[in-house]
Amino acid sequence: MGSGIVDIANTSLIFWETITFLILLALLYWFVYPPIRDQIRQRQQSIEQAIDEAEKTRKEARELLEDYRQQIQEARQEARQIREEAREQGEAQRDRAKKEAREEADRMVKRAREDINRERESALRELREEVAGMVVQASEQIIGRSIDRGDHERLISEALDELEAEVTGASAGSSGGGG
Amino acid sequence: MGTLSTLAFAQLSRDELQKEILKTWAEAKDSWVIPIHIGPVDLSINKQIWFLWLGAALTFILLFIGSRLLKNRPGAYQVIVEEIYGFGRKFLGGQMGEEAQKWMPYTLSLFVFLLVLNFIGLFPYSYPVTSNIAFTMVLAILTVILYLYQGIRSNGLKTYFGSFVPPNMPAKPIMVPFMFFIEAVQQFITQPLTLAVRLYANILAGHLIIFVFLGLILYLGTFVAFVSVPAALLFYAFEIFVAVIQAYIFAILTQVYIELAMYAGEE
Repeated sequence: MGSGIVDIANTSLIFWETITFLILLALLYWFVYPPIRDQIRQRQQSIEQAIDEAEKTRKEARELLEDYRQQIQEARQEARQIREEAREQGEAQRDRAKKEAREEADRMVKRAREDINRERESALRELREEVAGMVVQASEQIIGRSIDRGDHERLISEALDELEAEVTGASAGSSGGGG
Repeated sequence: MGTLSTLAFAQLSRDELQKEILKTWAEAKDSWVIPIHIGPVDLSINKQIWFLWLGAALTFILLFIGSRLLKNRPGAYQVIVEEIYGFGRKFLGGQMGEEAQKWMPYTLSLFVFLLVLNFIGLFPYSYPVTSNIAFTMVLAILTVILYLYQGIRSNGLKTYFGSFVPPNMPAKPIMVPFMFFIEAVQQFITQPLTLAVRLYANILAGHLIIFVFLGLILYLGTFVAFVSVPAALLFYAFEIFVAVIQAYIFAILTQVYIELAMYAGEE
């Protein structure tokens, strides 16, 4: 056709197209695709590497954190232990002091009581002797004669016993009333 | 495209109009000629060949510069080139199997080459090389050669041609040759023909429609411009879309035909 829109037997175009296209393909295959493919592969590798590294770092961080947590835990435990020990020590100290004080006090009380008892005993004895002497004297003066020594002694002893019973009863009553 | 503007405001006859519309294709062969004749064979370089070379050169430069500027932190241009390559990996190669990825560089080259030629054809005064049936036919025949080669190489001669006939056919003596004939026609005539004509006709028709709309101004009068210029613009925009889609269809069909041949033995 003269119009050129159905141009099937165009030998020059067919020839040059074949040559051109083959050369274009060869150039692209040699110069263009290998670097692009390498670049994409390289980037893929570097991305994978970065991901690996990030994962490793994260793992390390987690381990470190775990470590720190454990250390803190241990420190806390230690502190608690120390506190516990201190308290126990303090308590023991206090108990001991208390006990010692109580013992000391007991001892002092006991000693005081013993002293009192001893004093009272000796006072009583003296009193008794004195009273006996005074009674004997008095009775001699009243009666005018010395009575039999044995009777004497017995009477005095009885009287003193009575007196003593009265005194102890009165002292017990007064101390009960006072207490 | 043609030189419509020089004839503006002139009322044309129907024949003159037709001539104006077809000018691009009618004159290309006789423009910018360097005559080369080998015996009876005409190998002259003309406008068609110049634009063919321009397309090839632009295709190469576009991809070559992209491949030389490669850095680990890509710039915008590198992203485009890598995207083109990634597009090839995702949307061209490996439709049926990963092995077929090896043909992706070929079909990707084909795609970019056709795309560049289609776009060049959209410039005024250029020649749309892809609207030439001889051009598209050569590429289609190349496709046939490639899938025939790959089919035989992957499956062996016997299995490949054996796959033309479905197994378990009834009435074997009649049906087997019949089916073989049908499939052979399909593979070696219909497929390349449709491949070539689809691209050629789409690009040609797109340009013709634009010229016809603009030509109507010369034929019916200047007032038609109010309708035909917007319409031509609309079709021009549509042609950009067609340029991409037809280049892709040609490339993807080439890839699919090769892959079909590659896996022909696996029913």
